[in-house]
Amino acid sequence: MRLLVVEDDPTIASFLTKGLQEAGYAVDAADNGNRGLELALTQPYAAAVLDLMLPGRDGLSVLEELRRRRVAIPVLILSARRSVDDRVRGLQAGGDDYLTKPFAFSELLARLQAIIRRSQGVTEPTRLVSGDITMDLMTRQVERAGRPLDLRPREFALLDYLVRNAGRVVSKTMIMEHVWNYNFDPRTNVVDVLVFRLREKVDRDFDVKRIRTVRGIGYVLDVA
Amino acid sequence: MSSTWRENSANTLGVRLATWYAFLFLGSSLAIVVLTYVLLASSLAQRDHDLIRSTLVAYAGQFQQGGLSALDRAIRNDQAAARHERLFVRVSSGGEEVIFYNLPGEWSEFDLSRLDRPGSQSGLWWVDVQRRGTSEVLEVASTYLADGTLLQVGKSNEIRSELLARFRTILAIAIGLVVLIGAIGGTLLTRSTMQPLRQLAGVVQTILQTGRFEARVPARGSRDPLDQLGTLFNAMLDRIAALVAGMRGSLDNVAHDLRTPMTRLRAIAERALESGTEDPQRYRDALADCLEESERVSEMLNTLMDISEAETGVMRLSSEPVDVGEIFRDVHELYADVAEDKGVEVRVDAPDGQVVLADRNRLRQVLANLLDNAVKYTPAGGHVTLRAHEADGEVALEVADDGPGIAAEDLPRIWERLYRGDRSRSEHGLGLGLSLVRAIVGAHKGRIEVRSTPDHGATFTIHLATARQP
Repeated sequence: MRLLVVEDDPTIASFLTKGLQEAGYAVDAADNGNRGLELALTQPYAAAVLDLMLPGRDGLSVLEELRRRRVAIPVLILSARRSVDDRVRGLQAGGDDYLTKPFAFSELLARLQAIIRRSQGVTEPTRLVSGDITMDLMTRQVERAGRPLDLRPREFALLDYLVRNAGRVVSKTMIMEHVWNYNFDPRTNVVDVLVFRLREKVDRDFDVKRIRTVRGIGYVLDVA
Repeated sequence: MSSTWRENSANTLGVRLATWYAFLFLGSSLAIVVLTYVLLASSLAQRDHDLIRSTLVAYAGQFQQGGLSALDRAIRNDQAAARHERLFVRVSSGGEEVIFYNLPGEWSEFDLSRLDRPGSQSGLWWVDVQRRGTSEVLEVASTYLADGTLLQVGKSNEIRSELLARFRTILAIAIGLVVLIGAIGGTLLTRSTMQPLRQLAGVVQTILQTGRFEARVPARGSRDPLDQLGTLFNAMLDRIAALVAGMRGSLDNVAHDLRTPMTRLRAIAERALESGTEDPQRYRDALADCLEESERVSEMLNTLMDISEAETGVMRLSSEPVDVGEIFRDVHELYADVAEDKGVEVRVDAPDGQVVLADRNRLRQVLANLLDNAVKYTPAGGHVTLRAHEADGEVALEVADDGPGIAAEDLPRIWERLYRGDRSRSEHGLGLGLSLVRAIVGAHKGRIEVRSTPDHGATFTIHLATARQP
């Protein structure tokens, strides 16, 4: 899959390009708005990462122009501004998601993959499977290696999120957003406590520990 | 340049106002004076005509009853009684021959020949006879009697003219006075009207030249619009000054507050590089430490921005009716696991239907911060209660714990940024939570207060305006 990165800061651009290439994508980079718009209009990309503050044409205007020309490419907006207004404006202009700098690469990757999945119209599964873990989303029954796990609703929601992102690190902020629908960081250890509880149920009785803490970044469900 | 602009514009406006005022004043005064004069002149003329006509009718009666002698007697009687000024009376026979004259000598200069041509009029007709060399006019009414005799009665307009001439002089003086009063009044009025505008311009000028916001328009506290303009302008300046001071203050604070975590970040990286170890795990740990520290820096930056936005009043709040019980249960749910792990019981005690007007997300943030603190500082076996009650159009939202409470010496300082009491030093936190809580509550135009008795817990109470749903 081809991705477009429009970012004028060379360090961030190369960090993004390398990271996305390592994740298996082909990446084109543009360092200004006009070049970015030109590429997005002429090449078939699976998604674009678009910085808002760009020389030439700014990110919002690139986005508006794309949408005006009915180019439906999913766009992840990157911005140094973090107010709710900017976020709303970005999403209204046709952005699919919004991430503020500084960001964790793992979070960017997860968000990017989520908007690609959404744009490709992947139908909601009724069963999730990752290695020896299976989740039935209808009956809400969870098993690991054939043994049923008794999860409470938040634990179920967290495992659901980890399984969908199996092999990728998810940050505490992302967990707050997906499990509690909080879009601010309450600066608490609620995430750690929930992960600890889930781990008690998922990993305690097994030799292979699936849920791993990545210090300074977040948590990952290792693919066995 | 700007100074001349200000003077000119103010003066031009002032002159224009004064001129308009004077013109209007003068115009209406003139109209009144002219109208008065015309009415007076015509009523005086009317009075003379009435006198002449009634005298003519009376004399005609006398003449027909008693002939010339009776007429002569009547004239003498009238003159003796001095009932009116002397009138001109003439009687002519049908053959144009004048048979009676009552013509005072001084009237000999009138060209009476015009009266000799009576024509064929019937009833009563008027002839004006001019005195030679003057504008004095003798107004004569004539009529034929039944026997063909021509009876003529007239009166000079001299006295009337003199009266009107004197009146004209008086009016001219009055007009002069009106112009004078108009000019002076207009100037004074304009000056007093322009005064607040001049002061306003002066203040703007001072601020533009010095860049300092201390200057204020003197306000008299009256209800007139220009004075209110000054008051509003002052209020705007106050707000701008507060914003500028707030921005400047928060910039200083941010710079100051970030220094500590930045120093730590630097120290971690430096130590790792200088250790000279070959152990990759040590580098790994150092990098992870750096990440965590940079995460703290971002968090701190976000929180500081929130605090300064809330404190300077630029925080965008999307206020909506929020059910207190619902948001309590929401926040409680967030902390259920944490509290359970710690052995702290959290209770929600909020009657249904209590609604406040607030930004849902921000209120959640405030309550989450308070509940976080309460759970953190309450030992196992303790209780935290989220309680709400309504009084006087306000809903009081309480977060109460029965933990160790807050030391009396810490109580006034807990809202300060980065202030951490002795007990809280051992806990993880930025030291910004309560500052943020107070700033957000303030941005909602609410109040927050804290009561605490050491060893008997602490209670934080937020007062927000109630919003009854229609």
